Amino acid sequence: MTSHSAWRMALAGALSLSLGSAALAQQAAAPPAWAQGRPAEQATSSLAPHAPRLTATPADRIPLDSIRLPEGFRAELWASGMPGARMMARGEDGTVYVGTRTIGRVYAVKDEGSARSTRILAQRLDNPNGVAVRDGALYVIAVNRVLRFDNIAQNPSAEPVELTQAFALPTEGHHGWKFAAFGPDGKLYMNIGVPCNVCTFDENRHALIVRYNPDGSGREVMGHGIRNSVGFDWRPGTNVLYASNNARDWAGNELPEDTLHRLSRPGEHHGFPYCSGNAWQDPGHTGRQCSEFPAPVAMLGPHTAPLGMRFYTGTMFPEAYRGRAFVARHGSWNRDAKSGFDVVAVTLNEDGTQGRVEPFLSGLLDTAENSFKGRPTDVLVMPDGALLVSDEQNGAIYRITYGR
Amino acid sequence: MGLRVVLLGLALMAPALPAAAQGDAAARGAALAAERNCGACHGERGISAMPGIPSLAGQQAEFIALQLVLFREGLRDVPAMQAPADGLTDQQVEDLGAYVATLPHAPPPDRAPRDASALEAGAALAGQLRCGVCHLPALTGQNQVPHIAGQREDYLAETLIAYRDSKRHGSDTQMNGVVQGLSDAQIAQIAHYVAQR
Ligand code: HEC
Ligand code: HEC
Repeated sequence: MTSHSAWRMALAGALSLSLGSAALAQQAAAPPAWAQGRPAEQATSSLAPHAPRLTATPADRIPLDSIRLPEGFRAELWASGMPGARMMARGEDGTVYVGTRTIGRVYAVKDEGSARSTRILAQRLDNPNGVAVRDGALYVIAVNRVLRFDNIAQNPSAEPVELTQAFALPTEGHHGWKFAAFGPDGKLYMNIGVPCNVCTFDENRHALIVRYNPDGSGREVMGHGIRNSVGFDWRPGTNVLYASNNARDWAGNELPEDTLHRLSRPGEHHGFPYCSGNAWQDPGHTGRQCSEFPAPVAMLGPHTAPLGMRFYTGTMFPEAYRGRAFVARHGSWNRDAKSGFDVVAVTLNEDGTQGRVEPFLSGLLDTAENSFKGRPTDVLVMPDGALLVSDEQNGAIYRITYGR
Repeated sequence: MGLRVVLLGLALMAPALPAAAQGDAAARGAALAAERNCGACHGERGISAMPGIPSLAGQQAEFIALQLVLFREGLRDVPAMQAPADGLTDQQVEDLGAYVATLPHAPPPDRAPRDASALEAGAALAGQLRCGVCHLPALTGQNQVPHIAGQREDYLAETLIAYRDSKRHGSDTQMNGVVQGLSDAQIAQIAHYVAQR
């Protein structure tokens, strides 16, 4: 495409946004990514992405005292000074590895009893959000790069093995960061997000959850039509995969809901771009109907940005929490009244097809001021049953414990 | 206007610093800027007279801090900024942001005269592409979104081309999306309009 015709399309997109003209919308193949799919009603919206913080928040300015938990639970500051801290994975020696996005680093947090030491393990990577540990090796997944650090516990400064070519991930930056984890089958699972807000795309290449052999061979699609999942886990005792999913922007403040999905049949299509949230048919993508797709297990609220999600497998928390899924809701920018910025707990029914959502960690969102103090991003259950919660905005990890 | 926006930004981001602490940060930043000779390239009071080098005066503190981190981490790869950003601590990065934000903004001394037709075309493009949603209607920026009004025209054009050609990435891909598919001539018109604001 010449730059001239590309421009004409972009211009048509911009015009159709302000004029709402059906004829122009036809040609609107490439509106700017941030405004893609924005309807006429929201054309004058001043919503814009939140600022990340790439410098360390001093411990005395971390909003620990604002955190609210159910009776009997307590939050402490477990580690800090890690700008952009996001997804977590625990090594066999207890070291917790932490991925980031913009700042391009992977941190290692070593527990030294009463305190933790933190260091930068890797840097200058493009959104190294995905971290996973298997057989003593740490896997780091950036947008289209996969690195393996062998024997990381014994060999903390070893040069990584490049697995980039073997995985051959798509290169698109938009929703290109990965969540990664090893499944009970020993395979490396990750998401591949959609390279837009909402668009027509190759459904075998994007909006997927895929799994690989640890060496990058044997790619299999475990789920289609999942717009962008940045957190998943296997239900204890069943080995069934559950995944959080971020629904599209610019469809109003209340639509569509973000969701929790159950991937009971490998390769099944979960709806995007046709159907999202609570059986919401996207008016721009009517080629398939909601009835064709499995319903999500739980509604997580519109524009709450659910990211990290894990089942509670510990015994420290009260009996009722065993087997519940904790979901970190990062909070999105695409809603006039902010929502999320918390952690919720999802209780599944017996057969795991339906979940009930309850608040767990809150207090970081000030609804009166419509402002936030922190952004929970991932959750991780520790061997002692405590729950770690990462807060990207403050570069911190909280530890949640229970005890009367 | 600028002050209100800065305060609002802080309220959104993190517990706001008391005014005295802000003043200390700016004073530390001023000393560091003198030590590292930022003024040699960016102008003594942050107004650049050098082609291709942006003015910093009156810029959003958070934007400055974020860019300095990107330079330091080698993620915004600009040889000229490697030494100035080398080894800066997070605190120093924030101090430098606080300092340049206090310098009075002004257009560069060598700003070109207005070209009515480029101005009109640039204004129309900026309107269609809704620069004002993120940069605010006066193009003075907010938080991580920079103040662009009155910036050097040559720098604006170069950096918009870098975004278009995926040679510059910020904290997200927003700006790359905004200028996707624009021609060099259109970018020149936008740069002229923004520089004249
Ligand atoms: C040798 C000349 C030189 C020196 C000294 C220098 N800079 Fe720069 N700086 C540049 C150039 C050139 C750019 C533009 C980079 C580009 O083209 O993207 C830049 C860009 C920047 C930017 C990004 C601004 C924007 O609008 O995107 C910041 C912030 C900055 N410099 C701060 C500093 C600070 C603070 C110092 C002193 C610690 C400093 N610079 C010293 C040459 C210099
Ligand atoms: C969706 C929000 C958004 C929109 C719309 C937007 N910008 Fe930006 N712009 C940003 C952000 C965020 C940055 C900082 C990116 C970075 O870190 O590199 C930025 C950076 C810039 C810069 C770099 C300035 C510097 O000092 O380095 C220029 C120039 C710019 N924008 C111009 C424009 C123009 C012109 C338009 C309209 C044609 C526009 N922007 C529309 C969000 C936006």
